[in-house]
Amino acid sequence: LSGTRGPIVAPLPSALATARVIEDLGRIDYPEGIQSPQVELNLNAKHGKFRYDRDFLLQFMAVCKEKPDSLPPLDAIGMEPTDQNFTMSRGGSGR
Amino acid sequence: QEVDMQAQADNIRTVFNDPKNFNVKHPLFSPWTLWFDSAMTKGRNLPQTPMTAFPQTPQPQTPGGLGHAAQGWMEDIKRVISFDSVEEFWGLYNNIVPPSQLPPKANYYLFKEGIIPAWEDDANKNGGKWSIQLPKDKNRGHIDKMWLYTMLAAIGETCDPLLAEGEFDGPPQSLITGVIVSTRPQFYRLSIWTRTAPTGTGGAEDDKLRERIEAIGRNFKTSVLGYADAQKLQGPLATEVEFLSHKDSEKKGKQTRKIVV
Repeated sequence: LSGTRGPIVAPLPSALATARVIEDLGRIDYPEGIQSPQVELNLNAKHGKFRYDRDFLLQFMAVCKEKPDSLPPLDAIGMEPTDQNFTMSRGGSGR
Repeated sequence: QEVDMQAQADNIRTVFNDPKNFNVKHPLFSPWTLWFDSAMTKGRNLPQTPMTAFPQTPQPQTPGGLGHAAQGWMEDIKRVISFDSVEEFWGLYNNIVPPSQLPPKANYYLFKEGIIPAWEDDANKNGGKWSIQLPKDKNRGHIDKMWLYTMLAAIGETCDPLLAEGEFDGPPQSLITGVIVSTRPQFYRLSIWTRTAPTGTGGAEDDKLRERIEAIGRNFKTSVLGYADAQKLQGPLATEVEFLSHKDSEKKGKQTRKIVV
């Protein structure tokens, strides 16, 4: 029988699944070269209700590439690129 | 205590510090749901995917909820995914198809969680939309960036510049319910849906609302889409950035009050 190799090991949860939600943006130190979110947008921010400017958000584009676990297969929802040469994960700065 | 502070700093790892093992994420002002439909999938019986991977489109059953029309409208619209952090948004964005690569009759609807992309939803029924139509041939190279910037303004909650002027103590109520990109054979359309719409009654309250709605339109035109303030956009297959309440949209051709910025 082939079922004797022990239980199937579940993949480790991704960082995304276990990461805590930031409660105070002011306590985050971004690495050099990364721009913090515009302070004016969150002067009265409460309860993690943060607003983010576009330049701040764009910095994540090249870093967060992992396909979400809960994304259905694109062909199952009819979302197929019309250009066959098109490849996902464009990355880059998007400008 | 310098050491403690260092230890604490080491404890917080954003995705920029460690893309694989970050331990904090950036929450969004609101959770969002992405929906999609395409003429190619209309009425097509798509293969079943596991429930966990592909949540079914909710069919609200509340009394006084959606009418028949909305149920029909929603039938072919697929719920893709929900997310509530900046990091998750980009994971999604980097793994789906941009508007320039969609078939000629398709729509993305990015709406706040719990609001369905239909006029009939309680959050939309008294609202309206800012929209712009862009000829496809001239904008094929711009539409992906325009849609991305529209989504970023939505999830970053900067679509509504006068948002912070809310009078109450709790988190201010955003007027935005969702954003849409539509592809058609000849053009693209981008829209921002709002929770309310001025009625033109001339009261002080209504004037104030109109001001806020207009600020959303001007911000859309200049900051999001990158046009000059006074730029004329109307042309063959092209419209200005214009606002219409959903109630006026339903009237089709009869007296409607359009706001143009």
